[in-house]
Amino acid sequence: MSSFHKIIVFVGYISLFHSAFSAAQHRSYLRITSQEFTTLPLDIVVQAVASLFAVMWGVLNIAGNLREIPAAAELNTLTWETQYNMPSFAIFNHRGKAVNQSKYVPSSGKAELENTEL
Amino acid sequence: MTLFDKIVSRELTQNEAIDLLRQWRENNERKSNEIAMIHMFYDIYSGKISANERLMLKEQLIFASLDVHDLLTEFQIDFLLQEFPASMRVMRYKAMVREAKEKYDEALEILDYIIKADETNAPARKRRIAIFKAQGQITEAIKELVDYLKKFMSDVEGWQQLCELYLSVGELQRAVFCAEEMLLHQPHCHFHHQRVADIRYTMGGVENMELAKSYYCQALKLNPENMRATLGLFLTTTNLLNHYKSSGNSAKRKEAWKLSQWTQTKAAKRTATKKIKLTKMLLNLAITE
Repeated sequence: MSSFHKIIVFVGYISLFHSAFSAAQHRSYLRITSQEFTTLPLDIVVQAVASLFAVMWGVLNIAGNLREIPAAAELNTLTWETQYNMPSFAIFNHRGKAVNQSKYVPSSGKAELENTEL
Repeated sequence: MTLFDKIVSRELTQNEAIDLLRQWRENNERKSNEIAMIHMFYDIYSGKISANERLMLKEQLIFASLDVHDLLTEFQIDFLLQEFPASMRVMRYKAMVREAKEKYDEALEILDYIIKADETNAPARKRRIAIFKAQGQITEAIKELVDYLKKFMSDVEGWQQLCELYLSVGELQRAVFCAEEMLLHQPHCHFHHQRVADIRYTMGGVENMELAKSYYCQALKLNPENMRATLGLFLTTTNLLNHYKSSGNSAKRKEAWKLSQWTQTKAAKRTATKKIKLTKMLLNLAITE
């Protein structure tokens, strides 16, 4: 998709330069035929404005996604889950034990705690 | 179909799987079961990855498999150790395997060795604290962590952990200090504002309620979508209203009343589709006299 926009920008620039060139040509033509300059012909004006907008639209699309104005906007996409996940303090004695170990025996409850002799 | 099913039925392409892993790594997500499953069902190392990323993927896998207690991962660590014989980082993973096996003394031995060899090795010190936490020796962990934070003051994660530990033993005054420290490190993060406010609200009392109100407001200013802050603000203002009703401070009462009304409409808007009378539920929740 971005190659399409690049072509638009390229064509737009050429068309913009072409309209500038046409304007200069028009002035020199007027000078040669010694006429008074009033306004540029309509087709040159239309071409210049149209190609200007084409270039603007293309550049906007090439430049990538626009960013939010508030400074903290990027932080707002975070969730509590990822923000308060602390990998370097993670501990491993949790229910993950039961996920993979077929020989895992869950403790039988509080009674076991009372009987342990350490 | 959940993501987990998609992984198991191999619906993702290899590149999608690698991207997924990368995304989780960058976003600091735990998702250990999914990561382990991706490694089991996809041959990701044959994909287009740099040598650097290969190691990062391995590290991610080791961490994930420790989390799901797939202790076969020790082989992986041994391979890494052959590749990098003197690496403290790999040694730390060895210690983590001991931890997962609940051989805490051995793990501590390895970590002490690492710390002796390299005084500035912060991750190893953090693991030491995690071991105390895993053993349930919270006071010991707090002592170690305070010691650690004296040396590494700019560690946000450390402050965060200390805050959680203080909360778990009910030392709210100290927890609030840690939360404020986090706030100083990342002043634009709405979670930290919300955290301070949560703790202040729990502490109770008019002064703390006023503070909680300000912090909730700041959190909402930074992120208007923060539902927890919205509800917190509602509870706080309701509480304040009750107080000012009895003490008769009309200016402050009016302000609290306005805020309360505002949060109610905001909360109602968010839950409009769910047909719950949220405000009624909240009123039941609020601490009233």
